Amino acid sequence: MLDDFINQFWPSTIDGLSLGAIYALVALGYTMVYGVLRLINFAHADIFMVGTFAALWTVQTMGVSSAGGIGLIGVAVVMALVAGAVSGGSALLLEVAAYRPLRKKGASRLAALISAIGASIFIQQLFATTVIPWVFDTSKEGGKLPLNEHFVSRNDVVDLGPIHISNDKLIVFVGAVLMMIALDQFVNRTKLGRGIRSTAQDPETAVLMGVNIDRVVSVTFLVGGAMAGVAAALYFLRFEQAWFFTGFLLGIKAFTAAVLGGIGNIRGALVGGFALGLFEMYGSSLFGSEWRDVVAFSVLILVLMFRPTGILGESLQQARA
Amino acid sequence: MLLEIRDIHVHYGKIAALKGITASVDEGEIVTLIGANGAGKTTTLKTVSGLRPLSGGGIVFDGKDISKMPGHKRVLAGIGQAPEGRGIFPGMTVEENLLMGAYARKGDSSPELKEAYELFPRLAERKNQAGGTMSGGEQQMLAIGRALMAKPKVLLLDEPSMGLAPMLVQQIFTIIQEINRRGTTVLLVEQNAQQALQIAHRAYVLETGRVVKTAPAADLLDDPEVRAAYLGGDLGAAKGTAAPPAAPAPAPEPSATSADAGGPADADSADPAGTRADDGEGGTAP
Ligand SMILES: Nc1ncnc2c1ncn2[C@@H]1O[C@H](COP(=O)(O)OP(=O)(O)O)[C@@H](O)[C@H]1O
Ligand SMILES: [Mg+2]
Repeated sequence: MLDDFINQFWPSTIDGLSLGAIYALVALGYTMVYGVLRLINFAHADIFMVGTFAALWTVQTMGVSSAGGIGLIGVAVVMALVAGAVSGGSALLLEVAAYRPLRKKGASRLAALISAIGASIFIQQLFATTVIPWVFDTSKEGGKLPLNEHFVSRNDVVDLGPIHISNDKLIVFVGAVLMMIALDQFVNRTKLGRGIRSTAQDPETAVLMGVNIDRVVSVTFLVGGAMAGVAAALYFLRFEQAWFFTGFLLGIKAFTAAVLGGIGNIRGALVGGFALGLFEMYGSSLFGSEWRDVVAFSVLILVLMFRPTGILGESLQQARA
Repeated sequence: MLLEIRDIHVHYGKIAALKGITASVDEGEIVTLIGANGAGKTTTLKTVSGLRPLSGGGIVFDGKDISKMPGHKRVLAGIGQAPEGRGIFPGMTVEENLLMGAYARKGDSSPELKEAYELFPRLAERKNQAGGTMSGGEQQMLAIGRALMAKPKVLLLDEPSMGLAPMLVQQIFTIIQEINRRGTTVLLVEQNAQQALQIAHRAYVLETGRVVKTAPAADLLDDPEVRAAYLGGDLGAAKGTAAPPAAPAPAPEPSATSADAGGPADADSADPAGTRADDGEGGTAP
């Protein structure tokens, strides 16, 4: 058992980091919306799912059959742009349709939460029954879901003694880190970013400063959705699979990552994402891969029991984001 | 009149917090709203800033009915507020907090930033400190400086002296007078009625959501009812415990201003007393 762990240490670390990067990108959307609205946007998972189909569509439309090297980076960039735009736009629509009307009526948080769950199921079923059969050629898979598209030609691009990193994992990791840096700059350096932070810290005073809360909320959903879209493109690059139910488990994991880092805290989401990815992979090498999800959620329960504000532990209002 | 509050009614759920408040503020004035806890002072200011909807009455600002204008647009229209409890963004630096004050405005805000630092040198020393780690007095200066960043026509101040040591209270009131002397109209809410009445031109007394008295501030200082209810007793006792010796004279003669808007604005501002804001720190250390 321990031998497995030691033998598998480097591969697990690399898998953990590339998976964690995806969790982190999705977790950002949960944490930002929570920061601004104190709402757990359960439908965020399905915004991610929409992104995986946008990525599939991109690969099919571009007619990519086998990509490696620079070509794969190019495909990744195009997929990320398309999926980011589609998911960002969907998140914006989701806010306008499912949350804004409730906010205008001053409805309770519970009402918004129920609306979130409803929206989540709606998006899943819309894809399962309508969008997927209509847009995609399901006959290729014998009418079965999930849809697969094998287009990545994998090879190790880093070989340092025990460390081997394949091109797809490297692209996932680097792509995600670039997005995180961009988001950090946006939130901390731009005026709209200040608007988002002020709303998260004290919405009433933000209005006194002239911040248009509706605009801030829209931007938050747009940016969070776009991050989920890019995460979906990276996920699709890595696993080459799209399914209307993908969002469910991945969404819970990303939400776990957000809570792990301290929900409402942007840097916490990043830390939580990577930590969860690593825990999962180390856990599977220790106990066997069937224990992966058990490990992930045990970590969540332990953190909630002993450090309910998450790893970074800042309170929400104090969070520097 | 710059700001006219016309018979406004405001509810929290079914409970009426304001039951018909009428008040006005003329250009160049310092007007104060005094009253006990729960009288409706904060609600009045929040409603003027658009944070609470009206259930009756109206608000006219600068000749326009702003009753339905969304809150975030009122800043640009010229209404600035340093809210109760100061509302400092704890995770932002002092400078970021100040820049939030200019959020609604387009273009370069460095002249206003410079002016805020000149008015409050203490803030310049601490520009990179997180707002949430500042002392109470510093936070209040930050809240006022931030509200000024929007170049408001009227500055709403909600209990700026709350929780401050006497020396700092004195400083804050001196700065409010200086801000007014530089041309900003002030609507000041205070529980510290003694001090507020000393710097204000006119005053309204609020009780349970209604205006029960309005008069030139100087008259209320001598009003037996007001003395008994808000100034802690009779003339002699109150005078004894009031402002420290260095207290400034009430700026322009209050008697001359109640009707004449030009009065306070053209007062000589050769000596900006409020700029010496950096020497009261000792009193605040928690
Ligand atoms: N958020 C709120 N919800 C319900 N009632 C409130 C709220 N804020 C204030 N009130 C009530 O409105 C009345 C006026 O309060 P407020 O404007 O804060 O008074 P003041 O600032 O003069 O102390 C009080 O009776 C208070 O209990
Ligand atoms: Mg109050």
